[in-house]
Amino acid sequence: MASDGKDPDETLLAGVGRGDPSAVRALLDRRLPRILALARRMLNDAGEAEDVAQETFLRAWKQARSWTPGQARFDTWLHRVALNLCYDRLRRRREVVTDTPPEQVDTGPAPDAGLMRADLSKRVEAALAALPARQREAIVLCHHQGLGNIEAARLMEISVEALESLLGRGRRALKASLADLAGAGG
Amino acid sequence: MMGPEMPIGRFEDLAEIYGGEIARWPEGEREAARALLAAHPERLSPRLANAAQLDRLLDLAPAQSVDAALLGRLIAAAPQASGAARRWIAGLGAALGLSAAAFAGVLVGVSLAGHAQPAAVAPVVTAQIAMGRADSPITAVDVSTDLQDALEEGSEL
Repeated sequence: MASDGKDPDETLLAGVGRGDPSAVRALLDRRLPRILALARRMLNDAGEAEDVAQETFLRAWKQARSWTPGQARFDTWLHRVALNLCYDRLRRRREVVTDTPPEQVDTGPAPDAGLMRADLSKRVEAALAALPARQREAIVLCHHQGLGNIEAARLMEISVEALESLLGRGRRALKASLADLAGAGG
Repeated sequence: MMGPEMPIGRFEDLAEIYGGEIARWPEGEREAARALLAAHPERLSPRLANAAQLDRLLDLAPAQSVDAALLGRLIAAAPQASGAARRWIAGLGAALGLSAAAFAGVLVGVSLAGHAQPAAVAPVVTAQIAMGRADSPITAVDVSTDLQDALEEGSEL
């Protein structure tokens, strides 16, 4: 679980701090896809996800030389930074878009005529995007990022009970909006 | 040793909250959940299967492949072994009309001969050679600069 044992990124991070290019590459190989996926699923926008991932790692580079092992896992820290950046962007969107975002996902045409995988993928992405941000965050952290409940709750600065409430409500909403796809996930 | 028994309602809640894989449920409740499932498979297996359907749909939510340009930008902006020393090498080498790589080679020779030189230079040059990059362009990117500064700075060298 989250807080046990040594941070698996500690050695690589020390290498990054020393300017070791192989450590930079290894750390990016290990963590960049995760952070990019997190941002993509939170923001539902490829360009913004890339911006968030880039900014997250630029901040990590600044921290690398002064990183104090044992305070927080680097992966958790990356998630926190990326999530903050995602919320900044979500807030800006709300300020720019004066219309209330649609609560219901456009379910499109009847899907039982054999939706292609790409269509399914779009439907799921749209359903996730239509969730309230905190429910989406809980699902992305626990399901997609594979964090344990304690780590996810700590990251979201809520209790495990509150996390479970967000997960339960989020999954119920998704189930309802994707009900016509039951059995289509393969 | 068996843990405390789990009420069926809690099992059903957990399936709804964490999905259809008990392995992804809270660690402290997995053992009791498996025991309960073994005792009531006909009632609880369908709950897991139902939750797993949503898991499979969620797995379809697109991730995003890492773009080579993004990777390149981040590598370029990463901390480098003593950026100041790299700038010093590049600047002095240019002043002497040598390529940075050639000048780095001169410095290595000087270092091996035991002559005085800035302390930070030798490790940098050694690192360059060890990485097989002695002939690659030297980029001077300080860790404290942001990407824009880093790219601008790199293009000046």
